Formats: sequence, structure tokens, C-alpha cells
Amino acid sequence: MADQPSNVDSPPSEQPESPDIGIVVEDIELTRGQIIRTRLKLAWRSFRKNWSLFAENKIGIVGLGIIAIFGLMAIAHPILMATVWSDKKDIYDPVIGTDAVIVEKVVVVEVTDPETQLTLQEAQLEGELFASPGDIVEIPLAPAPPSRDHLLGTDPLGRDILSQLMFGARAAFTLGIVAALVTTVLATLVGSVAAYHGGLVDTWLMRQADLILLMPLLPLLIVVAAFYQVGLIGLALILGILGGLGGTAIILKSQALAVKVKPFIDAARVAGGSSRHIILRHVVPNVLPLSFLYMMFEVTAAILTEATLSFFGLLDIEMSWGIMINTAHTQGYTLSGLGTWWLLLPAGLAVTFMGFAFFLVGRAADEVVNPRLRAR
Amino acid sequence: MTSPSASADTLLGTDNILEVDDLTMYYKTRGGYVKAVEDITFDLGKQTALGLVGESGCGKTSVAMSLMGLLPGNAEINKGSIRLDGDELVGLTREELRERRWRDIAMVFQGAMNAWNPVYTVGDQIREAIRYHWEPAPSVEVANARIAELFELVGLAPAMLERYPHEFSGGMRQRAVIAMALSCDPKLIIADEPTTALDVIVQEQILKELKKIQDDLGMAIIYISHDIAVIAEVTEQIGIMYAGRLVELGPTPEVFADPRHPYGLLLLRSTPSIKGPRRKLAPLVGEPADLVNPPPGCRFHPRCPLAEERCAQETPVMEEVSPGHQVACFYWERTAELDIEGV
Amino acid sequence: MLKFIGRRLLQMAFLFVLFLTILFFLLQAQPGDISSQFVGNPEIPPEAKEILRERLGLNESLWGQYTTFIINFFKLDFGVSFTEYPREVSDILLSRLPRTVVLFLTATLLAYWMGFATGKLVAWRRNTKLEHVVTVTGIFLYTVFYPWFAIMMLWIFAANLGWFPVGKFITPSVWNNAPFEANQVFNRMIVVAVLFALFVGVVWYLTRRIGDLDRRKWLRRGIAAGGLVVVAFYWMGSDMRTYAADIAHHTVLPVVTLALVFFAQITLLTRSSMLETLREDYILTARAKGIPERVVRDRHAARNALLPVTTSFVLALAAVIGGGIVTESIFSWPGIGLALLNAVLVEDIPLAIGGLALIGLLSLVGHLIVDILYTFLDPRIRYS
Ligand SMILES: Nc1ncnc2c1ncn2[C@@H]1O[C@H](COP(=O)(O)OP(=O)(O)OP(=O)(O)O)[C@@H](O)[C@H]1O
Ligand SMILES: [Mg+2]
Repeated sequence: MADQPSNVDSPPSEQPESPDIGIVVEDIELTRGQIIRTRLKLAWRSFRKNWSLFAENKIGIVGLGIIAIFGLMAIAHPILMATVWSDKKDIYDPVIGTDAVIVEKVVVVEVTDPETQLTLQEAQLEGELFASPGDIVEIPLAPAPPSRDHLLGTDPLGRDILSQLMFGARAAFTLGIVAALVTTVLATLVGSVAAYHGGLVDTWLMRQADLILLMPLLPLLIVVAAFYQVGLIGLALILGILGGLGGTAIILKSQALAVKVKPFIDAARVAGGSSRHIILRHVVPNVLPLSFLYMMFEVTAAILTEATLSFFGLLDIEMSWGIMINTAHTQGYTLSGLGTWWLLLPAGLAVTFMGFAFFLVGRAADEVVNPRLRAR
Repeated sequence: MTSPSASADTLLGTDNILEVDDLTMYYKTRGGYVKAVEDITFDLGKQTALGLVGESGCGKTSVAMSLMGLLPGNAEINKGSIRLDGDELVGLTREELRERRWRDIAMVFQGAMNAWNPVYTVGDQIREAIRYHWEPAPSVEVANARIAELFELVGLAPAMLERYPHEFSGGMRQRAVIAMALSCDPKLIIADEPTTALDVIVQEQILKELKKIQDDLGMAIIYISHDIAVIAEVTEQIGIMYAGRLVELGPTPEVFADPRHPYGLLLLRSTPSIKGPRRKLAPLVGEPADLVNPPPGCRFHPRCPLAEERCAQETPVMEEVSPGHQVACFYWERTAELDIEGV
Repeated sequence: MLKFIGRRLLQMAFLFVLFLTILFFLLQAQPGDISSQFVGNPEIPPEAKEILRERLGLNESLWGQYTTFIINFFKLDFGVSFTEYPREVSDILLSRLPRTVVLFLTATLLAYWMGFATGKLVAWRRNTKLEHVVTVTGIFLYTVFYPWFAIMMLWIFAANLGWFPVGKFITPSVWNNAPFEANQVFNRMIVVAVLFALFVGVVWYLTRRIGDLDRRKWLRRGIAAGGLVVVAFYWMGSDMRTYAADIAHHTVLPVVTLALVFFAQITLLTRSSMLETLREDYILTARAKGIPERVVRDRHAARNALLPVTTSFVLALAAVIGGGIVTESIFSWPGIGLALLNAVLVEDIPLAIGGLALIGLLSLVGHLIVDILYTFLDPRIRYS
């Protein structure tokens, strides 16, 4: 599910300024503290410049806003568990908590109002074996609609939806960010090494990138998840490698190629820098802005993939947005629609908006990194 | 050469193919209005060639685009008029302009290397121009016959017609562009740096051929370039632009040998050229003017060695210094001093 | 050109072997071997286990197992399904193949066609309300959680509005005592559609030299419409009519749902590709030529914007395949994706691996077709 922003085949024309001051530093023999301070200052300055470009674009800010909301949810969950919900863990725990809202219903022969009535058979199914028409029975209601105790209702197993939703945000962040980090770090390294060395190394690495690019990811993951126990972090690692790595590595390589021909690379080589030193200190920092951009798109892809696999019930994960939908789906609430909206809507929208938000940030960042895309 | 004084022309109203009056065009941008064309006035006689020169960014292409009616969405013609063969072009609708384009005015672009759409054959693209402008639209065979003729005229093998642009060399592409420009028998061709991307030999060949074609077919041509020497041989008149304004306009030999505007002189002296007489180079110091906030008065005064206080306050207008030779400078009589110092 | 295709084919074969190698190691790393799965299944006779071991080369060395594994795949021998014993996996998969291919192809073509037209328009009208609405909707559709979106589509258009059946491939009540197999009817539908497409293709090719564009356009449209009428009459007169209609009715919703998401992606891609193209010099030339703006847009800008959009298909392919599996699952569409999912849930390993390999093969074939198509779209590659 590699997701590619607009320009795939051409590296951006404008190079980000090099944060490299390495050579100068060695000559003047600055103290370590000074070096770090200078570096920080430079980083801060370039951050400020890029931020103002980024902030010009409304969609990026909207994306950041949505991410911030989800971030708050993720942070709030453990806090709530420790404070407000602390004495009701058995109710509010997203996985094992359960709370059946008890409602009273009249047993009738023919149901005219399902909110307050039920048939004899239904009553018997609920365990009221001795009920007869006209009796009032107490029925545990799950899924229960939103109430004061459960602002977003409960799922078919009586678990609090809001708590699940907040917990799911944490899962989504963990997965998305780990997967994206893995992809980005690997793709940056692979791209830089391939571009710097060229030749056989390049061919070898790029063929692998092709293979990953063509890999039908979801079917493969379905099979892998069936053969092995795949947890959240495991999935993040797999996604990091098999997800967008192919496409990202190819694009970052073309960026690294553009960096490779810059004079400061030659200067570093003449100064006797080793390949490793040059790649890590000179090539990689200049590829990083673009890497960061692709990270945003990776997060979207990873979150969507996890949710899909969870939806199929294939993952070894306690709770996530995908599992919330899977629960509703497997318990037969797929088509119950607005009657039980709290089962499908919050989780579905959460996945969607999270992906949406990271995508928006990615697009806005794209315009910072690729000046050609900017509206003039 | 048909260029007596401008006023006589306007009165008669017959000899000129193009009359541009007070043309002013700004681009609206976030930073303000880019005053790319201001108060440009010139006439162009039938079958004559005019050269428009000036530094990069002085608005030459903007003038051409105004004439073509090809301005981008953020451009506005604020005032002035453009009369082509007596018909006013300013104020025409997009559709009317479109119909006239290529039929009346054709253009050879700056950077014509990429002027061809890579996915169609060259013949296909020329036929397209013909299809929309000939009345009635000819059959493919008739159009092809015409294109073959034009190809021969510009020195291309007619068989190249069904080839794709990437199979052409740069020079060949530019010749094909010229053939395309001729395909609808325009009254005026604007050649915007037609040869910049080519090597000097091809450059010269193409200009010579263009000149010959002009003599044969008898259309008017406006050449745009930042190098006077390149176009001196093929034009009858030269206009020098600085920062959106026309600062000197006159017969080519006179302007070339004896420029009266300080900018004209410095421009001529600062460009090294293998054509024309050998001269010592005199640098043109300073930055080109900012077109969003141009200097008051004469736009050239911050860089002008002759500038006096008056130059920063009043805007000089064109005045005739010899028959058909106009200069917008208060102190044009002193320009010659510069030359002596420079040499 | 032929050399190009040959080289491509070789590359693809190489990639496929690599892919199979990965599958092999996936299997190897799994505890026990395939045949051990047989033990617990009462429906499978014990001697079948030995036959299977033989067939999969499990009695050989690791290298022998590997080569047998690879060679078997090229013979389309995927082994025997555990759950539908003794049915061959290849038999199960091949009977489902047309359904998956049709779902995938129609959705892809629909999405490309619509997405390209929309993307082209919004890029042309840059900075208008239309562009903003379409772009935001597009991003939303693109990032929407697809299973959820499919459920919503099913709920709205099938469960709620009742326009379409709620999933599945056929309505059993219609097919009671039917003189045909569902696959028979479906194959006939495919054959008719392919013939029609070929007919249109030939007409397009034969009319390409007509100089008058308007005449050419109307001639082509007229002949295509005529062809459609013939097809309609064919079905009216056919005794498969009701059955074909039933299948078609079931096909619409899954195809549209899958197409919508993909459509969003193509729209976004076309938009940015078109915006890039509009900056090219040849667009200015085209404008200067005084040809109508519509022609500049379609014949010059859009035609070139198509190139990167086509290339990007490679990137989109994996996503579409994933989307296809989800679609098959939610709409109970009995294709390869659904077979894979079910096989995985009941641990029918040969079927799962076979399904996965076939999907991999399909994606490679898709990639190859797009590659070849691209050479036709871009003369710079065609003639070099
Ligand atoms: N679409 C536009 N929007 C805003 N400003 C523009 C636009 N096109 C050109 N300009 C500005 O107008 C000025 C004149 O540009 P123009 O292209 O006419 O110059 P030129 O003389 O042709 O230069 P060159 O020799 O480099 O081609 C420049 O300062 C340029 O930045
Ligand atoms: Mg120009």
C-alpha cells in the first residue's frame, strides 16, 4: 500500500541547505558543546523556516490538529484508567472490562416496540426460563447505546466503546510510528548506499526494492498472520519492511543521487572521509527531509493495513480500532446500521481520520520539500 | 526599410502591420504588482523586422505574450492598445484572440527545445495548427503537402514529417517550429530568443534562413534577444527595453553603431560577441531593477553613470534624436562621453 | 519493442521465482510439515498423506523440496485442498479466477476512466471550489478505512435502499432448477464482453486516419452504440437472460465500491500529474497555436499526464489487490481472495499458499500488461 505523493520520478529540484559544518569544525577545533550548539541553532533556524512554509498550508494544520486530538486520547486513556476509572477497571478496561446495562422489558406475544418489549423466546434465550407474557424481566443489554456511564455505548460483549477507542489510538500511534520509522530508516540507508556506491550494490539493492514493490502485501500478510502469532510490534516491523520500503527506497535513492553530485561530497571525499562517514554524515542528512515526508505517508498505510488485518481477526492484538469493527462484524451487527451506530461508526471514522490526518500532513510537507508543488 | 516617423505612419494608417500604443501590463502576485510592461509604444511596418533587446527579466517575453493574447491568468493589461493590421486586439474575448493566434501572429518560443509535445509526430502537431485555422480545413494529404513544402523551405527533409520530436536534433526542432509558425501564413511572427539554446553556427544558419524566408514571404518579424549583436544583421529596427520600459528605438545600424541611451550603450558594450566589431568590455554594474517597486523617475537611474537628481524625480519620455531614432533619457547628448571613457 | 517485452518477461519470471522462494521459506519455517495437517482430518485417508509427501517432494532433501516446490508451481500443481479433499487446489482456484479477474478488471478500468476524467478537470480548474471539494473528497476516499467503507456501502445500497442484493454471487432461489451452471453463464458474459471490446478496438484502429475529428468522434460513437444494441439483442434472445441478469445485478455493488476507492487515488494522481504537465513548454506552444482550449487540455495536457498515471499503476496494484480481498470478503464474492481468507481461517495450507501464489502471479501479469501498454503510450520508448 505504498502511497506516493505527486512526483515519483524526479527528485525535487531545490536542495535543502546542508546542515553540514563538519569540515569547518575540525579545522577550528571548536569544543563539543559549541558544535552541538551550532548544530542546534542551524536545525532550529531551518525548522522555523520550514514551519512557516508548512503553516501557510491549511490542510497541514488541519492534519496536525486531528493528530493532536488522537494524541490526547491516547495519552488520556492511561490517566483515566488510573484516576476516574481506577475503581471500575472491571468495567472500563478496553479488553476485559464488561458492563451489561440492565433494562427492564415486558414479555409480550407480539413485539410492537423492541425498546421496551420482547417475545417469550427472546426472554428465554436471555435466561429468563420461567417468564410468561406480561412479566417484566431484567435483561442485560449489550451492545448498549450511549449512556452517562458509557458515553459511546458498549460493544456486543459489554465493553466500553470510548475506552476502546482511546486505547485504540495508542495502538494506532505505536504501530504507525514504529512501522514508518523502520521503513524510513531502512529506505534512507538503502537509498543512500545504493546511490553513493552505484554499480552492483545499486543493482542488487534496487532489484530487492522492485520485489518488495510488487509484493501483494495484504495477501502475504494474511498468510503470514495465519501461520505465526503476529502482535502489534511484530506487525509494525513486518510492515516497516514489506510496506512502503520498495517505493520509498527508490525515490530516496534518486534524491541521494542528486546529493551525491554536490561539491561538498567531493570535498568530504578529498578530506579523506570514509564511505560510511560520508554516507552517514553528508548524504543521509540531506535526504532526511524527503524521508520525513514519506514517513507521513507510511504511517497512513500502516494504520490502514493493521486495521484491515485486525478486521479479519488475524492479528494477535488485544484491542485496536480494527478489532472493534471485527467484533461488531463477527457478532452480526454488520448491517444493523444506525440502530447500533456506535459499534461501527466511531472506530471506522477513527481509522479513517487518523489515516486522513497523516496523509494531509504528508501533503503539506510535500509542498515544503518540493517547491514546484507550491501554489504560486 | 519602411520606417519614417511614427506620427506620419499613424496618420496614414496603412503602412504599419502592428501599432502598439502605451501598452501597460502588470502581473498580480502575492508580493504586489509586477510592473512588467509599462507605456510601451512602437510601430512595425509591413515586412519589416524589429529587434527587442534587454537584460533577462526586463519584460520582453511579457510584451510578446501581450501581443499574442497569451497572458497568464494573473496578468492584466491596464491600458494601451495593440492594433494588428488596423484591428484592435486589447479587449477581444479569449475566443476571438484564439482564432487570430497563429493565423495572424505566430510565435517561435524561447526554449523551443521543449516546444514539441513528445507523444505526437511533428507533422501531426503542425497539421493541428492548420486544421483549426485554414478555411475550410484541408484534408490530411493537402496539409501534408503544405508542410512538406515548408520543411524544404526551412531545410528539413519532408520525410521527417512523420517522425517524433525526440528523433530531431535541437536545430531541427527549431527549424520545424519555424515551419509550424509559417503554416498559416501569419502577418507577424514573434521569435522569442529563437536560437538561444543552439550552438553558434546553427544559430546563425537559422537566423539567415529566417531572414530569407521573410524576404520571400513578406511577413513582419519581431526578434527578441538579450544580445543586440545576434539580431543586428536581420532587423531593420531595434528597441531596447529596460525594466519594463522601452528606452531606445531606432534604425538598427544607427542604434548599433551609436546608441544614445546610456543603458543601450552599456548593454552593447557589456555583451561579448563574436559578431560585430571588437570592443573593450564595459561592465554594467548593479542589479536589474525590481519590477514590483521600481525606482522612481527613470528606472535606470540607480545604475546610470550619468544620473542627476532630475532622473530620480521625473520619468523621461521618448524624444526623437534623429529621424526615426527615439530615446527616453534627459541627458542622451552626453551618452557619447561614456563611450570614450569606456574604450 | 519485442526485445523490451522479452526482457520484461524474463525479469518477471525471475521476480516470481523470488516470490515463490519467499513462500517456500514461509512454509518451511512453519512448525511441522504440510502433511502433518492431514492427521487430524477424518475425511482424509492415511495413505493420501504418503502420496502427498511424495508429490510435494517432502521425502527429499531441502534443495529437492525447494525445486519440486518451484516446478510444481509452474505446472500449476498446488496440491490438494484439505478442506475440500480430494479437490485439487488448482481446480478450486481456476474456477474462481474469472470472478476475481472480472471484479478486479472492471473496477480498475472504471476507476481509471472516471478518475482520469475527474483529475483532468479539477487540475484544469485549479483553485476553484470544485477543485477543493474534489481533492478533499478524494483524499478522504483514499484514506478511508476500506472494510468499513465497504460495509457502509453494503448497508446503504443493499440493506437499506434495497437496490442491490446483500452480497454473494447469485440469488439461490433464481437458480433453482437452472439449466446452467453459474460459471457457464458467467463465462458467456465474459466472452461477449471481450468480443465487444475487441470490436470497439478494431473500429478505433480502422478509423484512426479520418482527419475530421468531429466526424471521427461521431462515427466511432455511432458504431460503438450499434455494437451495444447488438449485444443487448443477443442477451434478450438468449435463454441465459435471467441468470445473466442475476449475476450482473450481484456484480454492480462490489465493483462500484472497489472502484470508488481506487477512483479517488487515480483522481489525485491525475490531478498532480496534470498540474505538472500544464507547466510544460509544449502546452504554451499548443495554446499559442490557437487551438481550442478543450483540445489543449485533452489532446496535449491530459495525454501526457496519462504517462505518469499509468506508471503509478504499479504502486497502486498492491493496494487494489488488498482492496479486492476485502471486497470479496465483505460482499461474499466467491473469488480467489475469499478462498484465501477462508483457507487461512481453517488452516488449509495448500489452498492458502496456492491462492497467494496465484495472486502474486496476477499482480505480475498486471504489471507486465501495464508496462507494455506504456510503451504504446510513449513513443520515446516505443522507438528505442
Ligand atoms: N506569470 C507571471 N507572474 C508574475 N510575474 C511574472 C510572470 N511572468 C513573468 N513575470 C515577471 O515579469 C518580469 C518580466 O518577465 P519576462 O519573462 O517578460 O522577461 P524577459 O525579458 O523575457 O526575460 P528573459 O530574457 O529571461 O526571457 C520578470 O520579473 C518576471 O519575474
Ligand atoms: Mg523571455
